[in-house]
Amino acid sequence: MIGTAHDIMSKVTPPRAVFVDHPVGRTFGPPHDRVRNEAVLARALQELPKFTRPNEIRDPGFQWSIDGSRAWEDELLAEMRNEAKG
Amino acid sequence: MPFQYLPVMAQNSAPKPPRVLVTPTNPAWCPIKKPLSESRVALLSSAALRLAHQEPFIPREDFSYRRVPSDPSAGELIIDHHSGIGRVPKQDPEIVFPRTALASLQRRGVVGNLAPFHFSFMGGLRDHGKIENELAQAIANDLKQARVDLALLVPY
Repeated sequence: MIGTAHDIMSKVTPPRAVFVDHPVGRTFGPPHDRVRNEAVLARALQELPKFTRPNEIRDPGFQWSIDGSRAWEDELLAEMRNEAKG
Repeated sequence: MPFQYLPVMAQNSAPKPPRVLVTPTNPAWCPIKKPLSESRVALLSSAALRLAHQEPFIPREDFSYRRVPSDPSAGELIIDHHSGIGRVPKQDPEIVFPRTALASLQRRGVVGNLAPFHFSFMGGLRDHGKIENELAQAIANDLKQARVDLALLVPY
């Protein structure tokens, strides 16, 4: 599994999981960025031979913002709250 | 610390109780028998994703699945999933279903080859028994028939 929700992945125990620290719904990067889509997928697949036990979540250190900013979390929270209202 | 989705989802579902998360009854660990460069790969997506001419998914409890050609030129992808976070991925489904990226990795020799089809179904279904015993079994049979070595699930 390649997923963005670490807390959910840790509860549903997929056999092998790679965590991508991006907002949910943008696992492979922003829309129409094919270079980044491929880079994220390739990097995630590099983790495959490193799994040694079931239910492991590997974190290769993906960042949504180049500068490591986590401002996206507030935007995502607002988006999810709007979803609830809608 | 990673973003915590479960508390937000619980708030969003109130006053209904939060969604119950379950682990599979049968452990699904399989050894890896081949290097990636010799493996046949298929994508699995819970985005309820399909080609335009394929039958739409019916929100919310649709236990069917679609075979989506792995060839990126096979047609435009549509996301039927009802989640509100779909506003962005619906602009470009490749960010949750990297069909083009995977085909590129196959051309570069990183991945051995592609299954003729990838698979998509509706995420967020509530009947876990039916998911495990019917939907997952049906997809697993298709994967076996296609001699897939690596099934790569991208949750939506």
